[in-house]
Amino acid sequence: MGTFHDTSDPLHGITVAVTMNDSVVVGRCHERDSEKVLLLDVDEHADDAGEMPRSEYLARAARFGVWAKHERLSIPAGEVLEIQPLSSYYTRPGEAAQPEIAGVSQSKPGTEDSAQAKSDAVTVEIATEVPGTVQSAVNLTAAAAQEVRRLIAAGENEGPGLRLGVAGGGCSGLTYKLEFSEPRDNDVVVAQDGFDVYLDPKSSIYLRDVTLDYQGGLGGKGFQFNNPNATNTCGCGESFAV
Amino acid sequence: MPYPEQMVAPMRAELTEVGVQELRTPDEVDRYFARKEGTSLLLVNSVCGCAAGSARPALKAALEHDSRPDHAATVFAGQDLEATERAREMIGPVPPSSPSVALFRDGELVHFLPRHLIEGQSAEVIARELTAAFDEFCN
Repeated sequence: MGTFHDTSDPLHGITVAVTMNDSVVVGRCHERDSEKVLLLDVDEHADDAGEMPRSEYLARAARFGVWAKHERLSIPAGEVLEIQPLSSYYTRPGEAAQPEIAGVSQSKPGTEDSAQAKSDAVTVEIATEVPGTVQSAVNLTAAAAQEVRRLIAAGENEGPGLRLGVAGGGCSGLTYKLEFSEPRDNDVVVAQDGFDVYLDPKSSIYLRDVTLDYQGGLGGKGFQFNNPNATNTCGCGESFAV
Repeated sequence: MPYPEQMVAPMRAELTEVGVQELRTPDEVDRYFARKEGTSLLLVNSVCGCAAGSARPALKAALEHDSRPDHAATVFAGQDLEATERAREMIGPVPPSSPSVALFRDGELVHFLPRHLIEGQSAEVIARELTAAFDEFCN
C-alpha cells in the first residue's frame, strides 16, 4: 500500500551517492536516461571545499543522512563516474570489514583465496547499461561452473539455471543468494556452458565484480563469494555491505 | 502538498490498528515526548511505497517481539506537517528523513533508522533491524 512511483529503474526512489571527478552528491534517484541523472533532495560535497575527506563525508551521510541543499539536481550523464546506493557506504560503528555469509563462506578481498578465484574466473557481463553508471559484472570460476553443471546433472534442482542475487539481510546489510531457479520476468539471463545464470536487475548492482568460486574436497569451503567491494558486515554476521 | 486524506487513511490505519499512537498536532507530539521515562519509538510515516510500504509492516512485526519499546507513536510526513516538524525537533540534529524510525530511552535518542537504510529492504529485514535495536535498548 502506498506505492506512487511508476518506473522499472531499480534505483528509482533509492538514495544514492553519485560520484564525479571532484565531487560527490547524495540524493534520491528520480530519473536516469542517456543525458542525465535527476536526483531529489540533494546534498553535494566538493572535494576542494576543505570540510572533510570524501570518504568521511560518505560514511557520515550513510549513517545519518544528509541535509538537502537542492530540491532537484540534474547531473549530466557524462560527468557521472559511478552511482551506488548510499546504504552501501554504511558501516556500523566499531565493525570491521569481513563479510561472512550464512551458509556460504567468503574470503576477504586480497587474500590468496580471492586471488586464486580471480585468476581463473569467467567474467559474465551483465546488461545493465544505464548511461553514466558502471557496468555490472559477475564472475564464475571454472570450478564453480563445473560444480553447477554437476549439480544440474544430479537433477534434484528447482530449475534449470543458477540464480545469483542479493537480499536484504541482517542489520541494513545484504545477503548473497544462490539457488537453482526458473527464469523470471526482467531477469538478466547469461548463458554459460551447460546452464544459464539469472540475475534480477536490482541484485546485479550489488554483484558487480563479485566472483563465485567453488572449493570441493574435505577441506573445501563449498561455494564462496569473493567480493572486492565488500566493506563491512552487520553484527548478525549474515550480511554485507558493498 | 498533502495527498488526499482518503488515500493515506489506510496507511495511518495500518499502524494505529496495532496500537501505534498517531500524533496529528504539535501538542500531541509534545505530550508524547513529555514522558521521559522508559523507551519510546517514533515512526515518521510517508506515502512512499518504496520505503514506507515496508517500514509499516516491519514495525508491526517488530512490535510483537519480546523486547519492545514502552510506547510507540507515529507522525505522517507530508500530511501532518506541523506535527512532523515538531517531531523532527525531538529527533535532534539528524537530517529529516521519511520514513524513518527513532528510538528514545529516557528521553534521549538512542537509535535512528533513516530512510536510506529502509528503502529497498523487505519488511522482514527492517523488522530484524528494529528488533535488534529493541533487544539492545528496551530491556
